[in-house]
Amino acid sequence: MASKTAAAKDIITLHGSAAIVSEFFCYAANSILYNRAVYPEESFVKVKKYGLPMLLTQDESVKSFLSNLSSQISEWLEAGKLQRVVLVIMSKATGEVLERWNFRIETDSQVVDKGVSREKSDKEIMREIQAIMRQVASSITYLPCLDEPCVFDVLAYTDTDVAVPFTWVESDPKLIANPQMVKLHGFDTKIHKVDTLVSYKNDEWDEEE
Amino acid sequence: MILRTPPPKKPRSDAGGSSTPTGNQLVIFEDSPLPAPLQTTSHEHSSDQHLCTYQCRQMVKSDVLDALSKAEKQAQEYQTMLQTLNQNYTQADEERKQFRDKFLYSEQELAAAKGREKVLQEQLLMEMDNSQERYSKALQSCHDLEVKLQSEMNLRSKAESSVATSEEKAKLLEEKLSQLSGSVERERKRLSNDISHLGKEAKLSVSRIGADLERMQCRAQSAETESDLLRSQLEDLKQKFDECLHEKTEVYKKLSSFTSEAASTSDNNVLVKTLQEELKRCEAEVREARKIKSQQLDAELLKVKLLEEKSRRERAESELSKLPELQISIDMLENELSSWKSLLNNIPGVSCPDDIVMKFSALQKEVLDSTMKIGEASTRFNQLEAALDATQLGKQNAEIEAALAKEKFVALKSDVKRIEAMLALVTEEKEQLKAVVSELRKSDSDGPVSATTDATLAQSFESSLAKKENYLKELEQELSQLKDVNNRQRDEIEHLNDKLVSEARRMKSLERDSDRLRSEISLLESKLGHGDFSAANTRVLRMVNTLGVENEAKQTIEALQAELQKTKERLQAVEELKSQSGDAGKLVDSHITGKIAQLKEQIATLEKREERYKTVFADRISVFRRACCELFGYKIVMDEHQRPNGIPATRFTLQSIYAQSDDEKLEFDYESGNTSILDNQYTSQGEIAKQVEIFIRKFNSIPAFTANLTMESFNRRTLY
Repeated sequence: MASKTAAAKDIITLHGSAAIVSEFFCYAANSILYNRAVYPEESFVKVKKYGLPMLLTQDESVKSFLSNLSSQISEWLEAGKLQRVVLVIMSKATGEVLERWNFRIETDSQVVDKGVSREKSDKEIMREIQAIMRQVASSITYLPCLDEPCVFDVLAYTDTDVAVPFTWVESDPKLIANPQMVKLHGFDTKIHKVDTLVSYKNDEWDEEE
Repeated sequence: MILRTPPPKKPRSDAGGSSTPTGNQLVIFEDSPLPAPLQTTSHEHSSDQHLCTYQCRQMVKSDVLDALSKAEKQAQEYQTMLQTLNQNYTQADEERKQFRDKFLYSEQELAAAKGREKVLQEQLLMEMDNSQERYSKALQSCHDLEVKLQSEMNLRSKAESSVATSEEKAKLLEEKLSQLSGSVERERKRLSNDISHLGKEAKLSVSRIGADLERMQCRAQSAETESDLLRSQLEDLKQKFDECLHEKTEVYKKLSSFTSEAASTSDNNVLVKTLQEELKRCEAEVREARKIKSQQLDAELLKVKLLEEKSRRERAESELSKLPELQISIDMLENELSSWKSLLNNIPGVSCPDDIVMKFSALQKEVLDSTMKIGEASTRFNQLEAALDATQLGKQNAEIEAALAKEKFVALKSDVKRIEAMLALVTEEKEQLKAVVSELRKSDSDGPVSATTDATLAQSFESSLAKKENYLKELEQELSQLKDVNNRQRDEIEHLNDKLVSEARRMKSLERDSDRLRSEISLLESKLGHGDFSAANTRVLRMVNTLGVENEAKQTIEALQAELQKTKERLQAVEELKSQSGDAGKLVDSHITGKIAQLKEQIATLEKREERYKTVFADRISVFRRACCELFGYKIVMDEHQRPNGIPATRFTLQSIYAQSDDEKLEFDYESGNTSILDNQYTSQGEIAKQVEIFIRKFNSIPAFTANLTMESFNRRTLY
């Protein structure tokens, strides 16, 4: 959207930035679900995005869930009301939270209030997102194995004055007690700055050590 | 021997004569050997006189010779004396020269020492002034820091007092909490009593239900026996019915044969009557058989109901077994609820549970603010302590420098004293030399030649001395300038050193601040990573229809729908039975009807809710569509489809409200945040294609394109 709405490649508008961030979250969620084996491999299909082969789920329910989520996130981003998006992976049997993929968002309030635009190269943004996707893919080397069936959920941290849509409800933050944390790269569109952090439950082997 | 009365002096003309007396020379008077003619007269006298004079001359000669030898000796002595005097004079002269040189050198040294003394005094004064200034500055800074320290101590005491008050408040709150926990326990006991009562009542109801069940079982057994009997009766009746039917057919045959034979006798009438009576009897039996059949059906229904009741009884028993666990959970929930309610009542400024969160967040904020303030105060205190240490160090340094300056001053004083002593010695030597020089001058005053040479020497010495003094003055000036330059450089170096020290201190404080900030950042990052948030600013939301819930909801919906179908079928059967049966199973019917009514109500509410959701969604969608159409002037139709590469895309078809035909449609594809216009018959027209080229391809602005198109369509409609 930024490339369509900008007169030159370097100009970023609020709408374009919100679209970039929501699209990034959609692809990142798919990548996490594939790499953490929340859904079977055969339910994913390969597409080209950010100069990398990305995997998208073909499960209709997950697709519709993520598309609804993406549209709502885009709306909140344009309003400057979204603070964080957290993808939570829980055990299906016990409901225990095993991993939290934390995407913290900082919005330039001047852009939201005054509607000004910023300048940044699309290529650089794509490079930054590419680095994050590579890190997500390589996270399987240090994250503990998820041996049991898992489900995922998405939490949105918003401002208190946001009107809650009827398809959303208030929730507890689904925290992990004494987590291990790994900070990943982030990217910046000059309007929205996204930082990524993954916190996971200490593996039993690590605790014994 | 020298004649007492020497003869008058005669001029000596010959060489044998004695020399004219000049100075201190010895004049020997002799008689002339060639007397003159004047002498002839006195020739007679002269013989005696000659004899006398010869003796006299011999005597005189001897005397003269003696005198001469004496004189020669004296002259030699005088010569030696003169030589010795000359030697003494030269020695004295040399000594005078040496002493003069020494005098000059000592004068030079004295002047240099005076100059050095002056310079040193000036230096000392400057250093004293500088050290005094620094000392005064250090004292002032110490005073300021002491004032600041006092104020910070006051602040700290205030903070400590506030901490103490907050601790007291916390203690009070803890006491209140303990009181609340006591009240909670009392409430819990009361609730447990209530629950025990309820349990007893539940047991009673369960026993009542058991009794009802037993009664129903007995009735069912009796109904079974009745049904068995009725079944046997039914079979008998069926047999009879079959026989009757068979007889009926035979009778009809007979009747038909009778009618064909045309024989109408009274016996036939009787036979007909009997057959009719048998027929009626058979019909009554058939009716009874039907009744029995219906009763059998009722019995079967009762059996089914009995089974249901049995299953319900089992379920009730299982639920009864779960009752204590439920009671425990109820206890816990009631405890929590009571505790929250009591908290609500006891916490000031709280009227509903939502206020508690706000209150806690406000209290947390206050605690955080107070801890931050305490942290800031402690950091400022540490900073002031560091500054105080630094000033104390500076003070110590200043004291050390003052001590050093004092030592220098003492050393300089000793130098000055030493120089003064040297100066006194030199002046004494100078006076001694002056006295010697005056003595020499006096001793040499007889010889005028040496005095003139001394005067010229002295003049030359004085001129050279003057030149040297001038040179010395120039050197002293240069020296003073160099010393000034050195002092300025030293001051600059000291100033730079002070700056360096202050910068080092500032760097240390900045390093401390950076460490503190780094620790705070790491703490905040860990909190962020952990997921902590402030309830005053942030709200956590999740979608209602998550995937697991959707699947579960679907399953529950399917299960409910199956149950609904079953209950509907049962309801139909029961209604049929109810219409046909009598009082048998009235109580069971009432239970069943009650439950059926409940299920019907639930179904109705669920259906209503579904309808409401559908209507609301449809309303909102339609409102949104209408609003979009009215605001932007385009009717938008959304359509999902899949591209050949498998990626889903959404197609939007826009038709302007000012369009003059249905073909004037714009088509856009939206996929993953990218919107692209599709070519169609309308967009490939001349003007439209131009606008697409300009607004979309060149300027990359679809809103500008649509706005321009709207304006053109509007103008066309209004003008034409």
